[in-house]
Amino acid sequence: MNDIKNYKTVLIIGIAGALAQITARLMLKEFPWLKIIGIDSRVISNIESNDNLELISFKYTRGNFENLFRDKYFDLVIHLGRISHTSSNPNKIIAERLDLNLMGSQRILDLSLHFNVKKIIVLSTFHVYGAINDNPVFLKEDAILRASIKYPELRDVVEMDQICTNWMWKNQNSISTIVLRPCNIIGAQVKNAMSNYLTYKYAPVPIDFNPIFQFIHEFDMANIIIQCADKVPIGIYNVAPDDFISIREAFKHLGVKGIPVSMLMLGALVSLVKKSGRSLPDYLIDYLKYSCLIDNSELKKYLGDKFYRFSVKESLDQLKLV
Amino acid sequence: MNFNFLHKAPSFLPPKDKTNLLFSYLKEKYNNSPDPWGLDLDLCRKVFEMTWPLYRHYFNVKVHGVENVQDHPYMVVSNHTGQIPLDGLMIACAFMWEVYPPRILRGMVERFVPKIPIFGTLIAQGGSILGDRQNCNYLLERGESIMVFPEGVRGIAKSTKDFYKLQSFTRGFFRQALVSQIDILPIAVVGAEDTFPLVYHPKKLMKMLGISALPLMPFPLPLPSPIDIYIGKPYKIPTDLSIDAPEKEINKHVYKIENEIKEMISDGLKNKRTLLKRD
Repeated sequence: MNDIKNYKTVLIIGIAGALAQITARLMLKEFPWLKIIGIDSRVISNIESNDNLELISFKYTRGNFENLFRDKYFDLVIHLGRISHTSSNPNKIIAERLDLNLMGSQRILDLSLHFNVKKIIVLSTFHVYGAINDNPVFLKEDAILRASIKYPELRDVVEMDQICTNWMWKNQNSISTIVLRPCNIIGAQVKNAMSNYLTYKYAPVPIDFNPIFQFIHEFDMANIIIQCADKVPIGIYNVAPDDFISIREAFKHLGVKGIPVSMLMLGALVSLVKKSGRSLPDYLIDYLKYSCLIDNSELKKYLGDKFYRFSVKESLDQLKLV
Repeated sequence: MNFNFLHKAPSFLPPKDKTNLLFSYLKEKYNNSPDPWGLDLDLCRKVFEMTWPLYRHYFNVKVHGVENVQDHPYMVVSNHTGQIPLDGLMIACAFMWEVYPPRILRGMVERFVPKIPIFGTLIAQGGSILGDRQNCNYLLERGESIMVFPEGVRGIAKSTKDFYKLQSFTRGFFRQALVSQIDILPIAVVGAEDTFPLVYHPKKLMKMLGISALPLMPFPLPLPSPIDIYIGKPYKIPTDLSIDAPEKEINKHVYKIENEIKEMISDGLKNKRTLLKRD
């Protein structure tokens, strides 16, 4: 295990994202001596650079990356730059998504190893397990990643996870790698598919299914990333609080009525929408049908029982502020 | 006009005080938090209230051996009878209405069930879970009691000539109990076979169609045959037996449980109530 007190320079990839920004701010608050370099290929907004926080917006090319690693001597790399499969228009940027999620991740890992980074933290997702009808409750980290078997559009997500985990074990004697698979991250700042869905006035609410969901608050997630840099050894970890909520109860708590709809009808509707040339991911429908709950006991071994500050209902309350 | 006779009519709702007491206990037990499998106590209450007339009046269920149930989790192992899983429903009712503290027995369902719209969700809200070893482990770790029918479909889908013949048990339940070190509570259900007294399963046709049950029967609805539920003494799970013990070691214990249930069925049949002699 590495001690964050010995770290000087940290690279955060994906700093245009809300989670990366929260992580950077929290990290500087807790460890003010750190120098953080935040990079992103997107336009970086909502965060200001300062003496300890340098923001760089550039395209992730091999040359750019190499120079950065060569110049800055990173102790810790936090890879939060996975392009979400939900926010993308697959027809337009599928190539970019594959390049960043697969080739980009491989590049980050190889450069980290080459330039003697002490630790690397990669943010994957619980989506890799897939929402399958015969999922047992509380999938452990060694469960089979079945998402891409049913849904090819999730292939890059699963492959990125597997690239990182294979690489992690292969290089475990040289670099400490942590792969995190969080449940749905929600909060006032994070703008992902789940946050958008839960706050959408006309969200389709399933009437024929009622899956159970786990939600983690964005601050808890950022805090866990930071704690992983300090207290958690090499490995793959599911990240989810102890409590959970059914989707209907979540909407009830949020006060969002949505549109009650049968998932069977929604499936047909998605097919129609697809025929009209627009793209809607099929797999999202299955997450509204079947539960995909993850086991959090492995991470608890290192962070303890009472680590999560926000309960599921408190996390949902934050969405009311959006 | 005298309406006193109405007071003597059977009540279609369980006693309210009792229901309140039982469900306030359960609410406290589940701490008002949702269950990861989707158990919904409010819906359960409605289901148990709605099935009360069936349990108390239509099938006139009597439970023997309640004193054998202590306040800790069990793996409830029963014979499977009656063409449709009425036996499971009646056992679940018995553990709600007759046993204190009450418990919601968690039944195991096949893998295709969660796929069925509405029904899949309803039975999850009613306490059933996907029949998976990991689910089973988690449930038992959480102090829940589960209900299994180790005969499987072979038990429930019997022709009249095979009524009350216990089919051989599968072994998985015992290995699961070994993992969790949870005692097994043997149960015998007598009377449920008579709810569909004339049944024939055409085995050749079933084989051709690739299905495991095809009950041909003159009565589409179950007859109000009285049902008796016999609860045996808990079977202590040996602490010195490995979960990877060879099959012959496991068989010894499974046979003992099978025999105990057979004996309870045999004793129950001697005192079996009938449609005409319901008390």
